[in-house]
Amino acid sequence: MTPDKINRLGIVAVALFTLLAPWILPVFVDEFWVDIYSEMLIWSLLAASVNLLFGYVGLLSFGQALFFGMGMYGVAIGIAKIGLGFWPAFGFGILLSTTMALITGFLAVRLTWHYFAIITVVFSLIFYFTALSWKPLTGGDDGLSFTMPPIFSFGEETAISLTDPTVQYYFIVLMVGACYALMGVVLKSPLGRAFRTVKENDMRAALIGLNVYMIRLTAFVIAGFVAGVAGALFAFFGRYASATYMFYHVSGEAVVWAIIGGAGTLLGPVVGTTLLITLREELSDVWEHYLIVVGVIVIVVVIFAPKGLGGLWMGMVNRIFDKSANGNQPKEGGE
Amino acid sequence: MELVIALGMNGIVWGLIIALIALGLSIIFGLLDIINIAHGDFFMVGTVLAWFVLDTTGNYWLAFLIVPIIGFAMGVVIEYTVIQPIKNAAALSIVATFGLSIILQEGVRATFGAAPTRLVPPIQSTIQMFGLEYEVYRLFAAAVSIAAILLFFGFLHRTKMGTWMRAVRYDPETATAMGIPARKIYMITFALGFAMAALGGVVAAPITTVDFQAGVDILPFCFMAVIIGGLGNLEGTVAAAVMLAFFEGVMASFADPTIARIGSLCLMSIVLLIRPHGIFAGATR
Repeated sequence: MTPDKINRLGIVAVALFTLLAPWILPVFVDEFWVDIYSEMLIWSLLAASVNLLFGYVGLLSFGQALFFGMGMYGVAIGIAKIGLGFWPAFGFGILLSTTMALITGFLAVRLTWHYFAIITVVFSLIFYFTALSWKPLTGGDDGLSFTMPPIFSFGEETAISLTDPTVQYYFIVLMVGACYALMGVVLKSPLGRAFRTVKENDMRAALIGLNVYMIRLTAFVIAGFVAGVAGALFAFFGRYASATYMFYHVSGEAVVWAIIGGAGTLLGPVVGTTLLITLREELSDVWEHYLIVVGVIVIVVVIFAPKGLGGLWMGMVNRIFDKSANGNQPKEGGE
Repeated sequence: MELVIALGMNGIVWGLIIALIALGLSIIFGLLDIINIAHGDFFMVGTVLAWFVLDTTGNYWLAFLIVPIIGFAMGVVIEYTVIQPIKNAAALSIVATFGLSIILQEGVRATFGAAPTRLVPPIQSTIQMFGLEYEVYRLFAAAVSIAAILLFFGFLHRTKMGTWMRAVRYDPETATAMGIPARKIYMITFALGFAMAALGGVVAAPITTVDFQAGVDILPFCFMAVIIGGLGNLEGTVAAAVMLAFFEGVMASFADPTIARIGSLCLMSIVLLIRPHGIFAGATR
């Protein structure tokens, strides 16, 4: 067994749990946790898009909620205003967010570090206020709700639709899983290595002939795509879209989830999102002002596990194997 | 025309208050490399404390004295418990101050309540100027902000502590080697930043509403003032804050406030993008 195998085992365990969750969760906790779990999966995707940029390319985006919101509005406007079917609306949402990522990224990735963080906030705020004031199209504060069209329909009677909870759950799992698989493939590919090179040292990356601008832009567009899928799924999940989800606070939460879970690890965002949403669900019944506890936990994690929970875990695994197998080089960071 | 003048003047007054708050953000940002997400909430805590002072003593003027002191004390405590352990890690500072922001907002919601409250300005008269009736309190607010900003620059350039602060920002290692207590300077800087935001809260409370979410709206504006003014350029921060608020005020006189906000945001992104990379030190990293 090597640390790599342990990590692969972890991924398999998470995947198995996710597939069996509709049977496992009702046994131990209430049935509504299946719904909460699918919500976690969707939000983890938003955190993963932050992580892709920050953990692998070194760009801290504070505006991922913009692409989340675009995916959301694409679906809601597509169905409620244009009258699209299920798949065209889904595609429209993703197309909208990816295009938006391409346009804003074209400008934003010219900047780095603080400047990049600020410009992403500015862009997301521009569209947040636009969505708020463009009431006929977006519904403004109230949001825009729609009735769910079927995924497939065979004749008049039989139709597969997300109104069936089981279908909805597995549809979300399938789409979220596909996004993680895509990110896994990208990060394993030469492009993924280029990402990490740019993160470590963009000057050297440029000197060995990498096009740093294009690499950053590619990462930005992929992250926008992933956030867009999350937004589109969330629109299907809640059957509505609202400008609230485009505010910079949502982006901020995604950053927190990603860093708490462990930036630069594929499963980190899932861990962070799961932890914080579980805390929310569990504590909100106990104490009205449970957010104080959440804030304290966030600070404590950052102080005692600066690499996030994923980093803490990796450190433990590596230390164990360092002791048992001498000469076996532990790998930096997780896959 | 009268509306343009009124809203333009409101913009300048508001810009001066923002400048005061953004200066606090800028010194924390510049000296400690802490991206302080909770800075808007420091301002919000200031407005709430001002409300409490008025509520218990019945005298609003006391708040101008007491609240910055409380803010300074809170800043010392927060620096010691939260900021010191994560020193100089900008990415972590975002998460830690995000946690702080949650605690402050929820703490205020638990004690003060969730409903926004309006305060009656301590000066209620109006004055005739530029052909319109203008509230005296707003002029007073501008005067207090200007005085506080000037005091701050005086402190930074004329006192030993201020010189130390500039020295630590310029080169922490050399400053420490020369016997400047850098850790103490970090603490004082952070506390001063809090105190300035809290004072901004006291000044602004009678013009806006006292609300536990007030910090969320003001934070992006402060950050933009800091960035557009140029990182580490404190005079630039003041100028940028006043200009942005003035622009938004004038825009708001012939367009919907939200449209005005979008306009100023677009202006900011243009400024951010056309400003060449090399002008600011530390732009690439």
